[in-house]
Amino acid sequence: MNELAERLARRYDAEGWHEQRKDLASISIPALRVRDVLAWLRDEEGYKHLSFITAIDNIERGVFTLTYTVRNHDTKHSLMVHADIIRENPVVDSVHLLWEQAWTYQRELKEWFGIDCPGSPRKDEEFVLEGWDQLPMMRRDFDSLAYSNATYAERPGRVTHDPAAYMKAQLYPEADQ
Amino acid sequence: MDIKDFIAPFAVWKRAFEKPFTVKKPIDERPGAPRYRGFHINDAQKCIGCGTCEAICMNKAIDLVPAAGYAAKEGDSGLRPRVDYGRCCWCALCVDVCPSGSLGMSNEYVWIDSDPEVFRYTPGVEAKPWDGSPLGYRRAEGYRLLEEQRVEMPELDYKEAVQTFLELVRGYSRQQAEKEADRCVSCGVCIASCPAHMDIPGYINAVREGDMQNGLRLLYETNPFPEACGRICTHRCEEACAIGTGGDPVAIRWLKRYIADQVELADYGKVLPRAEADSGKKIAVVGAGPGGLSAAYYLALLGHSVTVFEKDSEAGGMLRYGIPEYRLPYPALDKDIGYIESLGVKIERGTAVGSAVALAELRSRFDAVYLSTGLPAAYSLEVPGDKHPRVLDGVAVLAAATRGEPLGLGKRVAVVGGGNVAMDAARTALRNGAAVDILYRRRKEDMPADPDEIREAIAEGASLVEKAIPLEVRDAAGAIAGKQALFVWNEARMVQKEDGKRPVPEAIPGAVHEDPYDSIIAAIGQGPDLSFIGEADRLELRRFKPVVDGFGRIAEAAAGAAAEPGAPASASPSKAAAVFAGGDLVNDRKDAISAIADGHHAAQGIDRWLDRKGS
Repeated sequence: MNELAERLARRYDAEGWHEQRKDLASISIPALRVRDVLAWLRDEEGYKHLSFITAIDNIERGVFTLTYTVRNHDTKHSLMVHADIIRENPVVDSVHLLWEQAWTYQRELKEWFGIDCPGSPRKDEEFVLEGWDQLPMMRRDFDSLAYSNATYAERPGRVTHDPAAYMKAQLYPEADQ
Repeated sequence: MDIKDFIAPFAVWKRAFEKPFTVKKPIDERPGAPRYRGFHINDAQKCIGCGTCEAICMNKAIDLVPAAGYAAKEGDSGLRPRVDYGRCCWCALCVDVCPSGSLGMSNEYVWIDSDPEVFRYTPGVEAKPWDGSPLGYRRAEGYRLLEEQRVEMPELDYKEAVQTFLELVRGYSRQQAEKEADRCVSCGVCIASCPAHMDIPGYINAVREGDMQNGLRLLYETNPFPEACGRICTHRCEEACAIGTGGDPVAIRWLKRYIADQVELADYGKVLPRAEADSGKKIAVVGAGPGGLSAAYYLALLGHSVTVFEKDSEAGGMLRYGIPEYRLPYPALDKDIGYIESLGVKIERGTAVGSAVALAELRSRFDAVYLSTGLPAAYSLEVPGDKHPRVLDGVAVLAAATRGEPLGLGKRVAVVGGGNVAMDAARTALRNGAAVDILYRRRKEDMPADPDEIREAIAEGASLVEKAIPLEVRDAAGAIAGKQALFVWNEARMVQKEDGKRPVPEAIPGAVHEDPYDSIIAAIGQGPDLSFIGEADRLELRRFKPVVDGFGRIAEAAAGAAAEPGAPASASPSKAAAVFAGGDLVNDRKDAISAIADGHHAAQGIDRWLDRKGS
């Protein structure tokens, strides 16, 4: 597999090959080369199957890390291809012409992260959220607690205890005297 | 109407005999994936109720609630997490962060009930069908959101350390301290285990924020010996640390030291409070150890005039005369004491109560008296020959080392005992060039000394002889007669005599050893010296301990009868000032932080008693 890493590095400036398991590795590529790399992996290296596409909000670095997981069924090996795109303008090439089912994942990326894949079919339609008008919910700056508080009623009867205060009351209440 | 509208319903009949795509109901089996994130499970025995799961939950889906069968105790809040599935988003951050690893998720996701209130329960406490499920989500092996390992403390090399009395522990840098402080989850479970109940999460947060002045202020709220305790505290808090349930506990003691080390004594006054007004009351404190000076500090803050009477030529008690300077350098101790004196506390050094001044005189000159005289009298070996001139008292050896006196221990030294005094005596002997055997009647794991002290003593070259029962000390024969002593001891085996109690050493018949030593240092414990309390003082003692009430006030015996502990001041049979006591003299913990806590507590008690007396 290291030969594949070397080829990816030489052809596409890929870096950071990491063997997570014997049958699973990951590598990072420049976002501009996403379609080239995936086409080459599919056509030249036997990674014919797109397992899924997802993203990670690395807010500290100001990027979304896209993850394309492809599989070579002959070698029973999966490869996660990572590519960073800036959060401020999250746009990446669509890969639906390589794998038709990619449009579903790309529609999901649009709804949950706000990541746009121009040309991807039905990308702007609602995916699972109906009438969502907030920040995309998988962005880490989406305040899920504020949303929950504003949207749902507080369940009556809930009460919590601070461990230190509770232990003080139970074990050494005289400290307050 | 279009003709198609009539025909369309009949068109579906063409599929009437095909295999349907629908699923047959009821569906019996629909298991989640092996690592599916389903309903929570919790090993409630392993959980310590730290609330880190609640703190990390993004949706406030977790409450900490009292749980039947789990009472609060040291290291366990007695609370357990309750999950509200109206809010849980199944992200499993609670599982990933759980310090003890008790929290998990089953792969069960089907739960049907018409009552919405049931979808809130305490996993591991309220029984559910998925309890004990091996499937579901657990924190992956090796994956931790929390840092398991503490930042290593820089120390002198042991070979170098044993050549000198320089401080062994070097202290954290700012970067190291902030990194270590970042490991704390601020749960506060540790606070109950600290005898002084210090605001540990508060001052660790001050380290994290680089706010040393606030850190110092928080330390002094409950402990005026941060330099000393930052070095030699028995750190029971660390035994209760939530992070310690799955890794190294947070280095709470070293972080306390870090704060105190960062602030110059000259700047203390800018941060710490002072008395607002003079109360006009005078308090005498007997003993300038940590307990006595703690009482003096808090009494001074309350506006009282405090005079401390100390029999030795320097203040500090066992912190100075019982702990070698490689563990607690004198400048660090002097800084703590210096600040207390800067508040106007007078320390009468070299003034022994009982000989230089009588307790009765203090009771007539002062409005209240606090006794914190500790345990200065060493126990003897209690074997034949224990008065041999080469049998020395461990505390006396350490005190002589503090005073800079020649120790004359010789080249081969036996230290008998397993406590901190024994370890310190052994390490002092090593620093004086001796080969040292530490002989202890039980096993290493039974030794009452701080594990760090045991580890360091052995690393510095002391040899530990476990299960050694002292039998006799004899004068050596021949050319070394009078210069060496023969230490006779019996090998022992550990015997479990009673279930639930620790095993006891039992001598192995015939396994008797005789070893010659230049010095045999007995360090098997100390007792109080209450010779300064006379019968005329009418203070009630029981088993060599003053009998005190909740505020540390000693009961006073009426003519022929003991006063009820806690009786109001007006019931006092004596017109002399009330006497309070604390520290090793009273409590069984016998460590500096307990004495400091007692001093603080007694200061509050004395203040209330004076208030009541004056009204």
